[in-house]
Amino acid sequence: MTAAVPADSEIEQLRQQLAEAVDAARDAYRDTTRLIQLLDLLGRPAGSAELMGDMLNVLSDAFFADVVCMARVTGDRLIVSGSCGLPEDDPAYTEGWPVGEAARRTLATTEPTALHGDVPGEDAPGSVAGLGIRSAAWIPLSAEPYADTLLVLFRSLDQPFAVADLRMLTSVAARLHMALEERERHAIIEQLAHYGHLLARHLEVEPLLDEAADLLRRLTGADRAWVVTVEGGEGRLRAHRGMPPELTAAWPVSAKSLDDLPACDAGLPETLKVAVARENGATTLLCAGRERRRPFAQGTLEIMTIFANYLGVALTNAELYRALADRATRDPLTGLANRSALVSHLDTLLAADEATRVGVLFCDLDGFKAVNDLLGHEAGDELLMQVADRLRSSVRPDDLLARFGGDEFVIVLDGVKQLSEVAEIGARVCADLDDRLVVSGEQVHVSASIGGVLGIRGQATPSTMLRDADAAMYVAKARGSGQVEVFDEDASHRSRDRLDLRSELLLALTRGQLHLAYQPIFALDTRAIVAFEALLRWTHPHHGTVPPDVFIPLAEETGAIVEIGQWVLAQACRQLAQWHRLPEGRGLGMSVNLSPVQLHQARAAERTLDVIRAAGLHPADIWLEITEHSYLRHEVTEYAGALGAAGVHLVLDDFGTAYSNLSYLKRLPVEILKIDKSFVSGVTGAGGGHLDLSIVRAILAIADSLGLVAIAEGIETEDQRAALRALGCRLGQGYLLSRPLPAAQAGLLLRPQEQLPARVQRGA
Amino acid sequence: MTVDDPAGRTERSAATTATAEKLRVGVGYSDAADAVEAGRAASADALAGLHGATPALIVMYASVSYDLIALLHAVRRATGKAPLVGATTSGQFHDGRLINPGLGVSVLALSAGPYRFGVASVTGVTEDGDAAGQRLARAARAAAGPEPAAHAALLLLTTGLAGHQQELLNGVHKVLGAPVPVVGGSAGDDRLLIRTCVFENDNVLTDGGATGVWIAAPTPLSVVAEHGWHDVGLPLLVTKSDGLEIQEIAGRPAVEVFQEHFHDDVNFERPGLVKPAPGYLSAYAFGLIQPDGSKLIRGAYIDDEGLLKTFSPLPLYAPVQIVSCRAEDLLRVTGDVVRRSLAGRDAAVLLAFSCVARLDVLAEQGAEEAALIQDAAGDVATFGFYTYGEFARTTRVAGYHNATLTAIAL
Repeated sequence: MTAAVPADSEIEQLRQQLAEAVDAARDAYRDTTRLIQLLDLLGRPAGSAELMGDMLNVLSDAFFADVVCMARVTGDRLIVSGSCGLPEDDPAYTEGWPVGEAARRTLATTEPTALHGDVPGEDAPGSVAGLGIRSAAWIPLSAEPYADTLLVLFRSLDQPFAVADLRMLTSVAARLHMALEERERHAIIEQLAHYGHLLARHLEVEPLLDEAADLLRRLTGADRAWVVTVEGGEGRLRAHRGMPPELTAAWPVSAKSLDDLPACDAGLPETLKVAVARENGATTLLCAGRERRRPFAQGTLEIMTIFANYLGVALTNAELYRALADRATRDPLTGLANRSALVSHLDTLLAADEATRVGVLFCDLDGFKAVNDLLGHEAGDELLMQVADRLRSSVRPDDLLARFGGDEFVIVLDGVKQLSEVAEIGARVCADLDDRLVVSGEQVHVSASIGGVLGIRGQATPSTMLRDADAAMYVAKARGSGQVEVFDEDASHRSRDRLDLRSELLLALTRGQLHLAYQPIFALDTRAIVAFEALLRWTHPHHGTVPPDVFIPLAEETGAIVEIGQWVLAQACRQLAQWHRLPEGRGLGMSVNLSPVQLHQARAAERTLDVIRAAGLHPADIWLEITEHSYLRHEVTEYAGALGAAGVHLVLDDFGTAYSNLSYLKRLPVEILKIDKSFVSGVTGAGGGHLDLSIVRAILAIADSLGLVAIAEGIETEDQRAALRALGCRLGQGYLLSRPLPAAQAGLLLRPQEQLPARVQRGA
Repeated sequence: MTVDDPAGRTERSAATTATAEKLRVGVGYSDAADAVEAGRAASADALAGLHGATPALIVMYASVSYDLIALLHAVRRATGKAPLVGATTSGQFHDGRLINPGLGVSVLALSAGPYRFGVASVTGVTEDGDAAGQRLARAARAAAGPEPAAHAALLLLTTGLAGHQQELLNGVHKVLGAPVPVVGGSAGDDRLLIRTCVFENDNVLTDGGATGVWIAAPTPLSVVAEHGWHDVGLPLLVTKSDGLEIQEIAGRPAVEVFQEHFHDDVNFERPGLVKPAPGYLSAYAFGLIQPDGSKLIRGAYIDDEGLLKTFSPLPLYAPVQIVSCRAEDLLRVTGDVVRRSLAGRDAAVLLAFSCVARLDVLAEQGAEEAALIQDAAGDVATFGFYTYGEFARTTRVAGYHNATLTAIAL
C-alpha cells in the first residue's frame, strides 16, 4: 500500500496553516513572555526609581515603543517623571507639553486611548515629533477618577496598539502604580524613620536645626532647604542648604514679610512650607524649594509634615535637655548659677592664661534666720529672690553671681588686678543691699556680710578661694552686720589654719586636749577668794596652747561648744564640789562661761541644773557668765529666768562693750556685772583714762542702783586695784591677783595665809 | 578632555570641529608582524587617502596578536591629535577584502566633513553597565563641543568579554534617548576568548572598558541591521535557565530540544578559519522573538560538559525559536543592509560590524561577505570588523545583537 501523495495545492494549504499556527504560537508566547517579564519585574526587590526605570525599559522593548514615559498633569501640562527614550535633558522633564486631547480623554474616562496613523503634534512632547511616530497609547496609571498620571507609549512602527496590548498595559500600569506607591511609601517611611532617629540624637537646638535643613533637602529632593523661626515679630533663618549668600544676608526679616520677600521663597518657582507643630516655643517653619520648574513629587507636603512632627519632638527634647542641664547648673529658686556651676566657672577662669586675677566675694545675709523664723520659710524664699535681684543689678555684666546655698551668695569677678578692687566691689554690693525690703507685707531690713579674696590664675583653686572668702566673710560678720572683709594672702593663710583647727577641735575633747584653768575672783579690799572662774584651755599637740578667743568661736561655729560647754560645766562643778569639801572652800563660788549656742539647745536650763546637782552642788554655788550679745535672744530670757529661779547667779560678761541696754538688765535676773578689761586698763594712766574712769564709774553706779555686784576684770596693776577700790568696786580678778591656774595650784590658794583676809560672803 | 567620576573611573574624550566640506576617507592596512611597523604603515596609507585634509577621526581595528600599546603609539604618532577609537577584532574587512583573524591592523582616517566627532571612554562596564553607558554618552557628546546637533548617532565599541552590552546600551539610551541611534560592536580577540580591548586616543582599555564616538550630523543618521537566519522549528519558551546555561526548553532538557533541530545536511565538524571553541556550532542559534515578529539572534553552543550555553543570558520564559542558517542565507542579506544604509545619502564611508559567528558559518566563503559589502557600496569606502556582538539600537532600547550585520553610512 502506498500513501497517497498530496497535491501541491494541498501541500501549499498545509504550509499556510502551519505558518499561521506558528505565528499564533509566536504571538501567544510573546504575550506570555511580556506579561511574565513585567510581573517578574514588579515582584523584584528594587527601589521605586529603579523599578520605574526597569519597567519603562521593558515596556519599550515588549511593546516596541521608541518612547515610553510616565507623565503627570501639572496645571495644563504633562510633565515627565520618568521615561525610556527621551533624552535626559529633554524639556518634557521640566516644561512638559500641553495636555492634549488623547491625554485629556484618558484622564477623564480612566480608559486607555490608542491612536494609529497621524499622532497629533500637540499630543506628544517636541522631541518625539522627529521620530516619525505612527502609533501611540495613553494608559491611565490608576483607575481613580481625576488621577493625574499617565503612562504614554509612542512608536514609529506602523502598527496599532491592539486591544489586548491596551488591556495588558492598563493592568500593568495599575500594578506599577501600586508598586511604585508602595515602594515610595516604604522608602519614605524608612527614610523618615532614619531621619527621625538622626534628629533625635541632637541635644542642642542649633545643630539639630542644621541637620534638619540637610535632611529636609534630601527628603524632598529640593535644591534648597531652609529652616526659619519666628519670634518676637521677627523671622530668623536658622539653618539652610543650597541658599546663595546674597539671600542669607537678607535675614532676619519681619515676620509679616515671611510670605512675600524674595529672601523667604528664595525666588524659586517651586516652594513648599510647613510649620513645625509645637505647643510651646518659637514657631518653626520648614521650607524646601526647587530652582527649576519641576514640581515636587506627590505627597511631599505630607512627608514634610511628618518630618516637621519629628523635628517638633526633637526640638522639645532638646529644650527639655537644656532645662535639665539648666537645673543641674541653676539654683531653682533664684535662677542664679548653683554651686557646681560656680565651681566650674571659677575653675575655667583660674585656668585661663591671662595676666589679671580672679576675685571672689562671699556674701552671707545678716539676720536671715530671724526672717525665716518670724515670717516663715516662704517669706525667707521671697527675701532670697529679692536679694538675688538686688545682687544681679549690682554685679558687673561679666561677673558671675551664684547662690552658694541657704542665704549665701557668691560673686566671681573676672579680670581683677588687685585686692582693693575686690574690696571696692564688695563695699558697693554691700551698700546696694543695705536696704529695707518688703517681704510678706513686712518691712525687713537686709544687709550682708561679705568676704573677699583674690586668686592668682594657675595657682588658686575654686575650693581654696571659696574657703578663704567664706572665712573672710566670718571675720566681716564678727565685726557686725553689713561689713566687708577682704583677705590677702596672709589672712587667707591664717584662716586656713583656723579651719584646720576647727576640724581638730571636734576631736580635742575625746583626745583629752582640753582642760580647765581656774582664775580666782577676789574681794578687792580683803583679798579673799570668793569664787573661781573656770577657763577652758586647749593644748594642741603641734600648735601648743590655742587661745580661747581663737578656738571658742570655732567651737561655736561647729556646734562643738554644746558638748564642750557641758563638759566644762561638769568639770568645774566637780572641782568646786571637791573644794567645798575643804574647810577653806566652803561657800566658794564657781563662775562658768556659757556660750549663746548652748542656750539654743532644748531643755538647756534643765540640763544645766542637772549637771550642777549631779556634782552635789546647790545652784547658788554656780555663777553662769553670759555675754551681752547673747541675751538679746528670747531663749536667753527664758533660760536665765529658769536658772535664776533655781538660785543660779547670772553674770553679765564684758558689760559695756556692746549695747549695754539697761532694759535688758531689768528684764533678766542678772546679779553680777563684769566690767570689761578694756575699761579697767584705762582707769589709770594718761589719754583715755578719764573717759574709762567715767565709764567704770557709771557702770558701778548702774550696778549699785539695780542692786548688782560688779566685778572688775583684768586688773594688772596695784594702781588699778586702788582706783577700782576707790570707785567702790568690791570684787576683781586679774594677773595682779592671780593668773588662771591649774586646779591643783588654784586649790593651794585656798589655804589660809596670814596676809590674806577672810573671804567675803558670797553676794556681798 | 578628562572627566573624573566619583568612582574614580575616567572618561577621556576629544573634540573636532565641523567643516562644511565633503567627508574625506582614507583606509590603510598592514599585516606586518612588527606592531610599530604595521601601525606606521597602516596610518600612512589611511592619512594619504585624505589628500591633505586634516584627520578629524581615526578608527583602528587590530588583531590582539600585536603589542597593542606599541601599535597604538605608532598610529598616534602618525595621526597626531586627531581623536582615535578602535577595537581588537576577530577579523577585519575593508575595500571588499577580508583580513582573517589573527593578523593585521586596519586604520580609517576621516576628515570632519559635515560632522562633528567627540570621543570618550569609560571603564566599569562589568560593575555597572548602565552607569558606564550614561557616563560614556555624556562625555562623548560633551567632547564634540557645546553646539547643539540637529542629528546624531553614537558609535559604540565595547570590550567583548565584559558582557553587559545591553546594560551599557540602556545607560546610553537613558542619556541620549530614542532620537540618537547607536551602532557598533564588541571587540574580539581572534576567537581566543582571552582578552578584548578597545582604544581611545592614547589609551588601551581592556575588558570592562568601552569607548564611543558622538557623531553630530546635519541630517538624520540611520542604523541598519539584518541577520538572514531562519526558523527551523516552532516557537518555544525557555522554561529553566541559570545565567548563560539554558537548562530547559518547553519543560524538557534544553540540549535535547536544541539537538532535535539539527538537520542532517549541516556539517557538525565544519571548521572555522580558526578552530572555534569545542562544541561550538555556529550554524544553529536561538532567535529571541520580538514584539514585531522579528528575531534577535543569540549564539548558542554545547560545551565540553554537554551543557547548552549562550553568550549573553536569555531571560526566563523568553519566547525563542531555534534558528539556523547556511552561508547563502547570510550572504543574501549583506547587499540589503548596505543598500538600506546608503539609501538617500551622499555617503563617503560605510562603517559595518559583522559577527564572528557569521564568519564561522561562511567558512571558506568568508571573504564573500566583504566582497558583497563593497559591491553593494560601490564607490563608497567600506570599513568594518568581525565582532563578539553587534550594536544596532534603532527604535526600542533593545539593540544588542549576535550573528548580525549592522552598518551606518557617513
